[in-house]
Amino acid sequence: MSQGRTLTFNIFRYDPQEPGDKPKMVKYQLEEAPGMTVFIALNMLREKQDPSLQFDFVCRAGICGSCAMVINGYPTLACRTLTSKYPKGEITLMPLPGFELIGDLSVNTGKFMRELAERLKLWLHPRQDEIDIHRIEAPMAPEEAAKLYELDRCVECGVCVSACATKQMRDTFVGAVGMMKIARFELDSRDARSVEDFYHVIGNQDGVFGCMTLLGCQDNCPKDLPHMQQIAYLRRKMAGALV
Amino acid sequence: MSLTRHNSKLSGWLDLSQSLTGVILTLFLWTHLLLVSSILLGGDAMTLVAKTMELSFLSADGHGYPWVVTIIAVVVAVLALIHVLVAVHKMPLNLAQQRALRKQMTVISHGDTKLWVWQAITGVGIFLLLPVHLWLIGSAPETIGPIGSADRIWNQGVWMVYLPLLLCVELHAAIGLYRVAIKWGAEKALNHRARIKKIKTIVSVVFVVIGIASLLAFLPYASQ
Repeated sequence: MSQGRTLTFNIFRYDPQEPGDKPKMVKYQLEEAPGMTVFIALNMLREKQDPSLQFDFVCRAGICGSCAMVINGYPTLACRTLTSKYPKGEITLMPLPGFELIGDLSVNTGKFMRELAERLKLWLHPRQDEIDIHRIEAPMAPEEAAKLYELDRCVECGVCVSACATKQMRDTFVGAVGMMKIARFELDSRDARSVEDFYHVIGNQDGVFGCMTLLGCQDNCPKDLPHMQQIAYLRRKMAGALV
Repeated sequence: MSLTRHNSKLSGWLDLSQSLTGVILTLFLWTHLLLVSSILLGGDAMTLVAKTMELSFLSADGHGYPWVVTIIAVVVAVLALIHVLVAVHKMPLNLAQQRALRKQMTVISHGDTKLWVWQAITGVGIFLLLPVHLWLIGSAPETIGPIGSADRIWNQGVWMVYLPLLLCVELHAAIGLYRVAIKWGAEKALNHRARIKKIKTIVSVVFVVIGIASLLAFLPYASQ
């Protein structure tokens, strides 16, 4: 095997828990291995060079959404980004903007997602008032299930929130993840909420009518979810409820 | 109990009216520029266009009614005002918002967000320059024509308003129309985003070129 090139990492370092610590960029060097991802590189750096380096990961396969960070200006998942993508071998890593910083590259997306789910009531509101566990569940048309499944692919990584300048400027804006999840329940025939109910939640300037179509969500979503189509669909639906 | 009647559907109407006024103003803008560019075909062509716009074919003496132009200017001013009042809701107005935007744009590189910043900047430019243009034309509609316009543009120095206005408005309108198509989800726009983005750039460049050529075409008439 040929000798790998040397990668240079510029990594944002700051620990808010440590008194007197100031945000800074720290340079690390590492020999590239075949098929190396940014996530693998970070683990090697932590193991061999700096055990204090903070970053999140769980699944290593683009499913958990934990390792989202800004890589050379693009917010994405570290585990799905090959280092070979960068011909110069220079990689700058920043934490996702717009979230509470835990330390270095680790941000608290979980807290944000939970608050969002509670605020928008992102769970199924069944049609029946009384839940009878002995009743056989009504079947769902495969086409409908496929549509719901498409939107359920969201891993809550927070990339769309960071990539959205509207969200960064307006804290109360629900962002693409909120609208995607609302659209998911709006499409679900088992959900009892009407267009008016959804209008109440996102038919305002914190929802679809505050979105400026900057398309940061669409262009950066690591799961390639159809944000642009989905928000346009919701906007038309909500505009239809105007008359 | 609330003290004022709360119209829960207002934000929807506002967003819709921003898109609608934007589209109407864009279509007006492009028609307007094509009509003005009749100067490229010569003074007689522009006189014909100017007289037709003043509805000369409806008046017995063939002079038309210059106040028609004033009415058009007032309508454009009203549409632009509605557009501004709604668009201003989306601008970063306080320092915290401006800092958040700056921070996000320093960390994350994204083309369409940069396009929007250009739209916001050109929007402010139009907000400052358009009233001057509307006042000059609306208050003296009878002067529109090769000689009168040339005198205004070159002898009175109004090109200093028109040139930046042309650049601002042609960027702003084409980016805006591209955004409206995607915003409301015109199916073709969603499937051919890269292509309509390219068309948007071409349209901006073509209209700026036509506009500058028209301004220059007035130059010979300024000395008459």
